Amino acid sequence: MNRTKVGVFLSTCGDQLSEILSFDALTQYVKEIPGVTLIVRSSEFWRGNGLQAIVDAIKAGKINRVVVAEGLPKLSEVKIVEAVEEAGLNPYLVEVIDIKDHCAWPHRDTPSEATEKAKAMLLAAIERAKLLEPIEKLEFPVLKSALVIGGGIAGMQAAEDLADLGFEVHLIEKEPFLGGLAARAGRFFPTDDCAICIQSPVSDVKTITHTSRKCVYRSGFSEVPNLNILTSSRVTGVEGGPGNYKVTIEKKPRYVNEQKCVTCDLCTAVCPVEVPDEYNARLKTRKAIYMNIPNVHPPVYVIDENVCKFHDCAKCVEVCPTKAIELNQKSEQITLNVGSVIVATGFQEFDSSIVKEYHYGHYQDVVTNLELARMIDGFGPTGGAIIRPSDRKSARKIVFIQCVGSRDKRYNAYCSSICCMISLKHAMLIKSAYPDTDITLCYIDIRTTGRQHEDYYERAREMGIKFVKGRPTEITRDPDKNRLIVDVEDALLHRFLELDADLVVLAPAMVTSEGTKELAQIGLGSLLDEDGFFREYNAKLRPTETIVRGLYICGGATFPKDAPTASLHAHSAALKAAKFMTTGKMIRDQRTAVVNEEYCGDCRFCPVTCPYGAINLVPTTEEHFVAQVSEIMCEGCGVCVGTCPLGAIELRHSRPNQMLAQMKALMSINGTAKPLVLAICCSECGHTAVDSSGMAMMQYPANVRVMKVPCTGILQVHQFLDAFKAGAQGVMVVGCKSDGCHYEVGSEKAEKKVELTRMLLKEFGIAPERLEMFNMVFIEGDKFAEAAQMMTERLEKLGSLQLAGGL
Amino acid sequence: MNQAKAFSNVVTSRLGGETITACYQCGTCASSCPVAKITERFNPREVIKLSLLGEKDEVIAGDAIWLCCSCYNCQERCPQKVEIADVIYALRNIALKEGYIPNIYSEFASALSNDGRIVGVSKFVESKRPTLGLPPLQPTGMEALKKILSATGFTKLQKKEEKS
Repeated sequence: MNRTKVGVFLSTCGDQLSEILSFDALTQYVKEIPGVTLIVRSSEFWRGNGLQAIVDAIKAGKINRVVVAEGLPKLSEVKIVEAVEEAGLNPYLVEVIDIKDHCAWPHRDTPSEATEKAKAMLLAAIERAKLLEPIEKLEFPVLKSALVIGGGIAGMQAAEDLADLGFEVHLIEKEPFLGGLAARAGRFFPTDDCAICIQSPVSDVKTITHTSRKCVYRSGFSEVPNLNILTSSRVTGVEGGPGNYKVTIEKKPRYVNEQKCVTCDLCTAVCPVEVPDEYNARLKTRKAIYMNIPNVHPPVYVIDENVCKFHDCAKCVEVCPTKAIELNQKSEQITLNVGSVIVATGFQEFDSSIVKEYHYGHYQDVVTNLELARMIDGFGPTGGAIIRPSDRKSARKIVFIQCVGSRDKRYNAYCSSICCMISLKHAMLIKSAYPDTDITLCYIDIRTTGRQHEDYYERAREMGIKFVKGRPTEITRDPDKNRLIVDVEDALLHRFLELDADLVVLAPAMVTSEGTKELAQIGLGSLLDEDGFFREYNAKLRPTETIVRGLYICGGATFPKDAPTASLHAHSAALKAAKFMTTGKMIRDQRTAVVNEEYCGDCRFCPVTCPYGAINLVPTTEEHFVAQVSEIMCEGCGVCVGTCPLGAIELRHSRPNQMLAQMKALMSINGTAKPLVLAICCSECGHTAVDSSGMAMMQYPANVRVMKVPCTGILQVHQFLDAFKAGAQGVMVVGCKSDGCHYEVGSEKAEKKVELTRMLLKEFGIAPERLEMFNMVFIEGDKFAEAAQMMTERLEKLGSLQLAGGL
Repeated sequence: MNQAKAFSNVVTSRLGGETITACYQCGTCASSCPVAKITERFNPREVIKLSLLGEKDEVIAGDAIWLCCSCYNCQERCPQKVEIADVIYALRNIALKEGYIPNIYSEFASALSNDGRIVGVSKFVESKRPTLGLPPLQPTGMEALKKILSATGFTKLQKKEEKS
């Protein structure tokens, strides 16, 4: 192996730094460090001549490790690393430190102390650089095909986007017809147009549609090239990983040939089996062979296998003019290999019967908004008439109750966000069709936050819909008159009302769907939040991504959504999936965890703590398991390292020996009269907060030394003790806020280890307050400077740390 | 505003009062309340609102908090899990500490510390017991009760109340 030859490049940042730091002293100091073969001083090294000097030195073979002391580290590092790679050196053999924002600026009032700190920083960088190892980049194939789970409004739009972009798309829907919840809702707010309107394909199919949007059944959706629609299908297994998922699907038989059926209605006319129609809120019956409503996709009947008498009857077979009915169809198992998966499993209404005081499911005339939507739909079971289910007389007095099971800590604490608009929509549709109807809406707060939504609320008031601010305590029924009584306090009037009603409409919470629950059971459960919805990677910036590459989420599967938001979400998920698949490959460097199989054995901790599900246990012998890290899934945070009790797992880019060497170097020189403090910062918010404090010229003493780790989750208890042994009088751990940790759980794990170490320190007779965790976001430079100052003062008060032999 | 913050802090720091800030004034408690239905003098929603707004004097000097019959209907149905009946107890305790107590309650208190019962039992009532198949009344364990009353601070409060 070649001798390590470290090149050290000292930037004066346009001579700004030389007014504070003594570059002659730094050069003199670095020259004496073993392994350093080249020292160059320049104005800057991340572009122009300075960068060329690095490139030339590499090409000339003078150096094989690069240490650069620069300003603007996060930007300069990118440029330097790129150039180093082009020059032919492995780009992971570079160490860039920021002597401006981490040293010269914050300590400009104490220049000689700053110079001494800069020496320690350079030594740490050089010692780490010597121990760095080349890291390779791996290429993984990515299939250019996608599976979209859920044929509601979100799933259909995501599928269409990807198919239009040329990817092969499989859209699966568990029901026999597309449309999801949207199709049942009938109309959408705030335009009151029909719900199942989707965008028409951009491909050539558009010639048959003329306009940009049409109902799904006449949009030409099914004719989009590259799109394979599978109805009555559900996912039964997902294997593989990003870029190559193997998905198994069970497709139930329709018993009607989609290619032959002409929807002539002869079969339904002769079918002798009649059952309540669940799709239409049981307000009518349907036959064993049926369609939900006439305008559906696919426009083909389906046989309900739970009630059909099949060959004992077969009247439909006889009457079908195109011989489309095939009673011998069987379930199919389909296996698909896809590069990415988009989950669009939607949401559903909460089961209101759980809220006992409203007697839903017990009083027939208490219905939900979705059931009411079926009555309002002209294609629906009542032909648009609003009736009391108990006696089918028309409903003249209607009371809506908002927030049934939502904003309710007993059931779902969250606001479902769309129910106010749904109830307003229904109230107005009824009022316009039947102006004499007396409608009262009981609410806690009316939430109309979208575009045009407030107008909608105003229009409802204009139309004479009454509003009562109060959540009813109970619905009772007068059995003699068959009327409902809603018991509510109008909080504004301070008056108790007993509202008499023909029909009470509940606005139930919108909860996670059965489809999502099924996916949770086949291995995606870890991706759900506490409410059972799919959790986004980052709520602010990555709303349709999950922590698993190649797995995207959209629409109501993430939270209840109105149609515009669900569409937006669908397009976003499709774009993310397209970006992931477009080159057909994925390049990942090996800044990942690596397992020493000799030490690893059977404890099973790391697979549990890994936030990315990147670690599996594989058997080596019959009874012995070792951890195996997926190179694709591992994000290189090191939470597993911090967890491993045997030190059997390490990160290639942050080995324990590299960290120890850095630590010792940072503590090797003080140069101030103050106690040395080691600030171990995560590379995300922690380290960047230090940048921020420097950039803003905030001051803190030079005895505080910063060491960067990928994530504070990598830290182990013994490393804190190592820091004290290396000479630290105090240790700060600086990480992201727990709920903002860039690696999900790192900060939380670090916090726990800090707590544990403090207990140990106490046992050793060391004041536990010498170690403390700080959580901040990157703009909180002031918080870092304050913490550094505070820690220094605290240690001064505590006095010098004398280590007993025990540590 | 400060006063509001301060008073809701006083309530939340007392046993039973912790959940008061979760209230969003939906009125489920009021429409569940059998007392509020018959008198305008008590409305649990208003008691909570006044407390959150810091109207301490109105809450603790008024008679509303003493009218709650502790049926716990409101608490069962509150969608924010505000422990309303317990909040009212917390408010009563604060009132008591500050020397506000309706006469009937101080009568209960002295009856309790004198006889071990909040309501005295008349000879007439006692004579009815055998006809109902009930055993004769047992004497109250005054010694133990006194210990309890003193340990829980009841006796101290009572003295304070007598002074005022």
